[in-house]
Amino acid sequence: MDLLEREPVLAALGTALGEVAGGHGRVVLISGEAGIGKTTLVERFAELHGHAARVLWGACDALFTPRPLGPLRDIAETLPGPLRTLLDTEVSRPAIFSAVLDALRHEARPTVVVVEDLHWADEATLDLVKFLARRIEQLPALLVLTYRDDELGARHPLRRVLGDLTGGRAIRRVPLSPLSAEAVRTLVADRGVDPVALHQQTGGNPFFVSEVLAAGGRGIPSTVRDAVLARAGRLPASGRTLLEAAAVIGARIEPKLLAEVGQDVDQATEACIGIGMLQAQGDGLTFRHELARQAILETIAPPRLRALHRQVLVALLAWPTSDLARIAHHAEGAEETEAVREFAPQAARHAAGVGAHREAAAQYARALRFTHAVPPVERARLLEAYAEESSILDQLGEAITALQEAVTRWRVAGNALKEGETLAAVAWPLVRSGRNAEAEGASRQAIALLQAQPPSRELGRAYRIQAHLRMLDRDRAQALRWAGKAITLAERFDDAETLAAAHIVVGSATLVAGDVRGRTALERGREIARSAGFDSLVGLAYLNLGSACGEIYRFDLAEPYLRDGIAYAIEMNLEHAHHYMRAWQALIRMYQGRWSEAGEAARAVTEAHDVSAVGRIMALVALGRLRTRRGDPGAAAALDEALELAAQTGTLQRLAPVRTARAEAAWLDGDRERTLVEARAVYDLALRHRHAWHTAELTFWRRCAGERVALPAWAAAPFALQLRGDWRRAAAAWGKLGCPLEHARALEDGDAAAQVQALEVLDRLGARPAADALRKRLRAEGVRRIPRGPRPTTRAHPFGLTSREMEILQAVAAGLSNARIGDRLHISAKTVDHHVSAILTKLDVPTRQEAARVSRQWQTDGQHGEAPPTK
Amino acid sequence: MPRYIVERTFPNGLAIPPNAQGAQACMTVVGVNAQAGVTWVHSYVSDDKKKTFCVYDAPSPEAIRKVADLNKLPVDKITEVRVLDPYFSM
Repeated sequence: MDLLEREPVLAALGTALGEVAGGHGRVVLISGEAGIGKTTLVERFAELHGHAARVLWGACDALFTPRPLGPLRDIAETLPGPLRTLLDTEVSRPAIFSAVLDALRHEARPTVVVVEDLHWADEATLDLVKFLARRIEQLPALLVLTYRDDELGARHPLRRVLGDLTGGRAIRRVPLSPLSAEAVRTLVADRGVDPVALHQQTGGNPFFVSEVLAAGGRGIPSTVRDAVLARAGRLPASGRTLLEAAAVIGARIEPKLLAEVGQDVDQATEACIGIGMLQAQGDGLTFRHELARQAILETIAPPRLRALHRQVLVALLAWPTSDLARIAHHAEGAEETEAVREFAPQAARHAAGVGAHREAAAQYARALRFTHAVPPVERARLLEAYAEESSILDQLGEAITALQEAVTRWRVAGNALKEGETLAAVAWPLVRSGRNAEAEGASRQAIALLQAQPPSRELGRAYRIQAHLRMLDRDRAQALRWAGKAITLAERFDDAETLAAAHIVVGSATLVAGDVRGRTALERGREIARSAGFDSLVGLAYLNLGSACGEIYRFDLAEPYLRDGIAYAIEMNLEHAHHYMRAWQALIRMYQGRWSEAGEAARAVTEAHDVSAVGRIMALVALGRLRTRRGDPGAAAALDEALELAAQTGTLQRLAPVRTARAEAAWLDGDRERTLVEARAVYDLALRHRHAWHTAELTFWRRCAGERVALPAWAAAPFALQLRGDWRRAAAAWGKLGCPLEHARALEDGDAAAQVQALEVLDRLGARPAADALRKRLRAEGVRRIPRGPRPTTRAHPFGLTSREMEILQAVAAGLSNARIGDRLHISAKTVDHHVSAILTKLDVPTRQEAARVSRQWQTDGQHGEAPPTK
Repeated sequence: MPRYIVERTFPNGLAIPPNAQGAQACMTVVGVNAQAGVTWVHSYVSDDKKKTFCVYDAPSPEAIRKVADLNKLPVDKITEVRVLDPYFSM
């Protein structure tokens, strides 16, 4: 088929390749629905530029669970060097990725790397794409990625990658449009088909159009599937059988495999190629389009489908090397329980090994579908492995269900140690889902069960989890008690993981109680985890160091932990830790008055996919407080959602930040009643936990709303000082902590000079509601010389003329000379001359007459404000 | 996407000439807005040109403030709004 209406896209690809030759790597994303012609386009591009560039080709599988790094395997086949061996020996992912970089760098010509059908990509491939795209500017490579944009649901993993690939000149997006009616008319030529009806029925989809034309009938089938089947209907019986076997084999079809499943390859293949259903590609065959393969697959009756899968499975098992994911796929299709039981877990471990956790989880899920009747121990281990992969993917519901079943299986197997360990383990996904009461129940039950046995490593783990729950509940004494028990057992049984985790709990519990010495234990836990290679614990230590220092307003201490922690989390792909620390960064920036940065950080979390509830709560609090303080819309929406999520956790750690933020919002709305409701809601809880900061702030809002409520002696100093009337020292304390708004709020309680100073701070911050209220109060109190309002540091004028320049321009327009203007404004003629040159430059006009004309135009034309001029 | 009214004050009055320079100034603002998914629909300007009421479509108030910073435009107040059409049922 001729390539119609693709010249602009080919030209764009050519331009990008030219830039690559000039030393700047590029990524081109080609998107469009199935059959729009993505592959055809890239093939034509490769044909046109194959002499000037090396072209490497990889495609993602349409398998339900694709091969990890499948496209890279395709590429390695055609590439000299160590990459292929590396992939077969299953070394670590960083080693594989850097080998890819080497392969791209050590080539004189530019390399075009094509990865097709990215919407089917496994997780490791998506990571590879991100990895390359982030470095593309320095690589002599053009990365061409194709995907179906109409098949990406809101939570499709490719979305996150596409979101990542933004900004800069290095990344181009090329959506392919359907063919025009004119192009369809060209294709129809003198065939007896109505081109207008064909264009309408096919929506201009090139594959659909060509299928209809190839089928050769007079009517137009209503779907692309019907069109494909009409074309296949022209095959003899042997060709039809071969086509079905080929469809089961997959996207790439080895003729050897076709022969082994009993097909008469030569003749039947000939026929299939003859009518354009199959095409030769390298040593193998492919369908002309995946849509055609799917259409054929759907027509095969279930018993025959099972039989074909079984034949393929038997053949693949006889081969010396076969891909595990592929074997598992056919084993499931053949409903061969034993083969699934053997190969799906192997495929899962392999996928997990290269970081393809989504595929690993899918393979374990496949194994679980076929192993309901296996011995309980085997089933329990599969469930645990599945739960682990699900946790990594933040699919907490899946993890909880699997672990709960595993508990039952270990009980049936009579293994109390494993039963207790698994019971304790289920508390963690429960607490991350905000189901704290259930988590507490599971943890207690685990301890009771394990304490009935001799001391064990498992009991140490259960103690640690209980300590963690107590810490999250801000119950320092109990947290330290349980962590102490955990440490004793962890040391006795040489369990580095529990030891590190227990130190992290001790440090966090100490820190949030306001004792900065807690950092020592946290840093110790982090280093134990680092040397034992527990990445996610290292991330957890950073997360707790940053957020706990933040919770006690020690932003100076929190900042470096968050900065290093975020960098670590990104490097290690720890999504949860990354999002949670970003949310805390947003909160801290909000307190520090760095509001644009706070907004960016908070939105980065609220707009990301798969953010855990706790990360989202903290980001929403930051966003809600920021909007409240700026007087921007959307504060209530953010804080309502935060409250809903926090209520599910039932913990002070989540509820207090939300309630204090809501109290502040109600207060600025002038709603005393609501301020009281919010500030009272978790007051008792805060008091019970002796939380110095939450208790102090909640008391502050209750007092603001006119309630006489006692202030505990241990309440945090800056709030306490202010409530005791010592506004001077309160303001100083807030200043020292780096909280300008709180600083101003303390000054508001002072004398007229302090109040005016407060107003200046509020104006500078852009804290409009607080500034408006204070201004009103000062006027009512008769204070003189109230600052007039935020000085517009921004340009008052699109050309950036200063007010002095505006003044001079008006005088110029009035026809005055520089000397006269100077006299009038009490400046020298020379200074006026400088101003006039500046005006001419800014207006981009050659003469003062021209500037005068522009000025008069503004004067006479009242219609043109900020609106674009009419043409 | 939510719609907002953005109020701005220009103490020296705002002026955009109805010529190529004015068009250029507007297009610069529009280009910067696009980076954050913000669309300037149109504006109403007070008679003394010191106050503008600008209608914007934007993903969030933060996005409006971000592009305002980049465009060096002042922001007094952002209000989220919905259309009320008095002739809807006629």
